[in-house]
Amino acid sequence: MGELNPMHKKQVLLFYCVECEELARKVAAHSQLITLQSINWRSFDDGFPNLYINNAHDIRGQHVAFLASFSSPAVIFEQLSVIYNLPRLFVASFTLVLPFFPTGSFERMEEEGDVATAFTMARILSNIPISRGGPTSVVIYDIHALQERFYFGDHVLPLFETGIPLLKQRLHQLPDAEKIVVAFPDDGAWKRFHKLLDHFPTVICTKVREGDKRIVRLKEGNPADCHVVIVDDLVQSGGTLIECQKVLLAHGAAKVSAYVTHGVFPKSSWERFTGKEGGRDSEKGFAYFWITDSCPNTVKAIENRAPFEVLSLAGSIADALQI
Amino acid sequence: MAATSPPLPSSFTNRGKLLSNFTSIKPFSISLNDEKHCRFRCQIKSFENQPPNLSVDFLSGNEPVHLNSPSPMSMASDSAVKRVCLFYCNETKALAERIAAESDAIELRNINWRTFEDGFPNLFIPNAHRIRGQNVAFLASFSSPSVIFEQLSVIYALPKLFISSFTLVLPFFPTGTSERMEDEGDVATAFTIARILSNIPTSRGGPTSLVTFDIHALQERFYFGDNILPCFESGIPLLMSRLQQLPYSDNISIAFPDDGAWKRFHKQLQHFPTIVCNKVRIRDKRIVRIKEGEAVGRHVVIVDDLVQSGGTLIECQKALAANGATKVSAYVTHGIFPNRSWQRFEHDNGGHPETGLTYFWITDSCPGTVKEVMSETPFEILSLAGSIAAALQI
Repeated sequence: MGELNPMHKKQVLLFYCVECEELARKVAAHSQLITLQSINWRSFDDGFPNLYINNAHDIRGQHVAFLASFSSPAVIFEQLSVIYNLPRLFVASFTLVLPFFPTGSFERMEEEGDVATAFTMARILSNIPISRGGPTSVVIYDIHALQERFYFGDHVLPLFETGIPLLKQRLHQLPDAEKIVVAFPDDGAWKRFHKLLDHFPTVICTKVREGDKRIVRLKEGNPADCHVVIVDDLVQSGGTLIECQKVLLAHGAAKVSAYVTHGVFPKSSWERFTGKEGGRDSEKGFAYFWITDSCPNTVKAIENRAPFEVLSLAGSIADALQI
Repeated sequence: MAATSPPLPSSFTNRGKLLSNFTSIKPFSISLNDEKHCRFRCQIKSFENQPPNLSVDFLSGNEPVHLNSPSPMSMASDSAVKRVCLFYCNETKALAERIAAESDAIELRNINWRTFEDGFPNLFIPNAHRIRGQNVAFLASFSSPSVIFEQLSVIYALPKLFISSFTLVLPFFPTGTSERMEDEGDVATAFTIARILSNIPTSRGGPTSLVTFDIHALQERFYFGDNILPCFESGIPLLMSRLQQLPYSDNISIAFPDDGAWKRFHKQLQHFPTIVCNKVRIRDKRIVRIKEGEAVGRHVVIVDDLVQSGGTLIECQKALAANGATKVSAYVTHGIFPNRSWQRFEHDNGGHPETGLTYFWITDSCPGTVKEVMSETPFEILSLAGSIAAALQI
C-alpha cells in the first residue's frame, strides 16, 4: 500500500457485521487510528431486523466505515439497512469495506434471459446515500471480473484492492522460495493477476473440450521440479483446482500449493483438501492452501486444519481506510 | 335512460390519480337506483391510442371509485384492455394464478428459480425476447429478508428487456411497523426497502408502478423517490362486500384498535357505526379500553392493517365482549402471524365473544399464512386477485 503519509492520518470509527467481528478486531489492532463501534443486531418476530446503532450522536463529524460480509442472501438486508443509514448521520465520510463481492462469477449474460445478479448487487451498492464526505468508498478485494468495476454508478467510489501482496510476502518466507512457479488455472486468472506476479516463472492452464468433457491441460510453461502455486481469485467446489493440480503433478511438479483470495467453499467443500489424500504429508495433496479472511465462515471452519493457512487482510484494510 | 349530465360529484376529482390517465370522459347514461345511492355508469369507448373500454361506477358521497373488470353487459366490443405479462415468485404462484383467472388480458409467465452451490440465486427468464413491447408485471412477496435478493434481481432485470411498462405488485410492504425513528440510532428498515424499490431501473414506459395494499403508515408514501409511482390500494372494499353478504349486516359496528387504525381506515368505513379503542397505561401495564362508541348488542368487526402476535386484537376482543358486544370478528389486510401465532384465535360458534371470534378475515397478501389458515376456523380468506387484476390496468 505504500508509506503512510502522516499528513493523511484519519481517525476512523469502524462498525462491522456479526460475521466479521474477528476481522474487525484485527483491523482495529493494526492501527490506533481505528476504533471499533457497536450495533445491536436483533430481529423482530417476523424475521425482519430490529437494529440500533449505539452512540449515533458521537459519530457526527467522524470518518466512519462498515465492514460487511454478504455470505448469503439472507444476511444482506440487515447489513444494507445499516449501510444505507450510517451516511445520513452527519458523518464526515463513509467507507464500505466488502472484502468479498459475491455473485461476481455469475455476471455473464450469455443469453437474454440470464439474470446477472452481480448487476443487482452493484446497483444496490451504488445506491448508498451520499454523505458529507461525498460518494461512499467501497473497498473490494480481487473482484472476479475486471469489467465489474464499470457496474457501479457515480455515487460510489469503488476501490479495488488485492490480496496478492500477502501471498508474495508469504512466498518469500518459504525455504524453497527460489523454486516457486506461479500457475494460473485459466486465461481469466492470468489476466487478473499476471502483472502482480511477473517476477515469478509462470505456467498457464486451460480447459479444452474433449467430447462431452472439459479437461484441464497445460497451455504454457514448465512446472518440472518446482513448487507450483496455483493462483486464482476464489474457490467454490475446488474441482478446477484439483484438476489443475493433477495436470501439474503429471508434468513433474515437485509440490503443488494453492492461493485464492476468497475461500467460498459452499457446503464445506474444503473437506476435499483436508482428508487423508489432501494432507500436507501426502504426495497427492496440496502442500499449502492459502486463503484470506474475506469469507469469515470458511475461516472459522478451516481454522488450524492443514494444508490451510489464513493470510489476514486486516493490515491491508487498515491502510485502505486511510485513503 | 336519461341522457342529461348532472354535475359530477366531488369524488370524481378526488380520484385524479386514476382519472388523469383519461383525456375525456363522456357520461353515457345515468341510472338512479334508489334514494341512497346515485350511480353513474360511464362507458369509455376510446381514448388516445389505447381503448380500454372500461365501465366505471361512481357512488355518491366519498366512497372510492371501483374499477370493475369489463362486464359482458357493458361491453359493446372486446377491444383491447391492457395485455399484461405477469411474472411471479414461488410464494406467490397461487395468487398469480387467481389473478390471471380474473382477466383474459393477464398472462402468466415463468422464471427458472435455481440456486448456485454458494446459496446465491441462479435465475433465468425463458423467452425473454417475447416480452419486448409488452406490459410486464411482477408479483412479489418479501416474507423474510432471505427471499428479497432473488426477487430483487428479477425486478431489476425485467425493466431492461425493452418492455413497454413495468409494474411491481407487492401486496404487503414489510418493515412498515418498524419505521419510527425515536432515537438517532434507530435504523428504519422501511426506508431501506423504499430506497431499494425506488432504484428499480426505468423502462420504456417510464417509472415503475408499485402496487401495495394498506401500507402501515400513511407517511411511508413519501419514502419513495421520483423514479417510482406508488399506487396505494386497500383491502377494505373486499371487507365491505363480505359484510354486505352477512345476515343482519345492519347490526355491524366497526372497531379500531387504536387511533392509527382509525386514521387509516375510517373514511372508507364511515357508513358503519364506529368504536375506537386505545391503550392506557396503568402502572406497568398497557390495557385496552374503549375510547368512543357503543358495543352493546352489536356484531363488532375489529379492523386493522396487519396482525403480528395478535395480542392487541385479543385485548380488543375482550374489551368489546366485556362491553356487551354479542359477536366479535376481525379483519386485517395482512396476516403476518409470526411463529404461527394464528393458533391463539378460537372460533365462537355463538354466545361467547370473549373467547372466540365469529370471523377472522385476512387477504391473501401473505401466502405463507394463507396456506396454514385456509381450512381453519374462524379464518376466511378474501382474495386480492380481482383488485390486483384491476390495478394492473392502470
